[in-house]
Amino acid sequence: MRIGHVIGKVTMHTHEKALKGARWLLVNPVDTDQLNTCIQDQPQVTAQSTLVVYDHVGAGEGDIIGFVEGAEATAPFKDPTPIDAISLAIFDTLTYLPPPQAAAG
Amino acid sequence: MLHAQVVGNAVASAKHPSLESFKMLLCQQLGPEGEAAGSPFVAIDLFGAGMHQKVFVSTDGIGARDIVHDEHSPVRMFIQGIID
Repeated sequence: MRIGHVIGKVTMHTHEKALKGARWLLVNPVDTDQLNTCIQDQPQVTAQSTLVVYDHVGAGEGDIIGFVEGAEATAPFKDPTPIDAISLAIFDTLTYLPPPQAAAG
Repeated sequence: MLHAQVVGNAVASAKHPSLESFKMLLCQQLGPEGEAAGSPFVAIDLFGAGMHQKVFVSTDGIGARDIVHDEHSPVRMFIQGIID
């Protein structure tokens, strides 16, 4: 599960019946050095590529969410669905304690 | 399986129901020489891995769905073993 900062919403018309009325989030993955502060205060938008994530847990702008990419994103749907990223957690706290010798990621 | 190290934890009240009974740990993948590779990710914890312990993380969604007993769960990464 990757960690991302919801920076916006996407609305679109789609003919895919499984995706009717879906909510889409614009998510920017957070950097390692933002992990301890991103929930208390809004993190800067990072250089990592922003992606559109299907919202499964009702996240809003400013939330820090956990999202999964790949085939597992289609697991909640009965029939095969053309999506590849889904949100599954809204984080209340994140604690990052880099090990003493390893440099921050 | 990823060779990783536990570097923190995550708490989320709003989450997919299949994650309800699992602790979420922040893991950092380790490269060949044990250096940090990529950015940390969150995996569900099955064995109570401790802080900074070296672990094996599986990225197999099918196995993850078995473990959480929910074939509609989008969970993917879980700590499969703790390295002594």
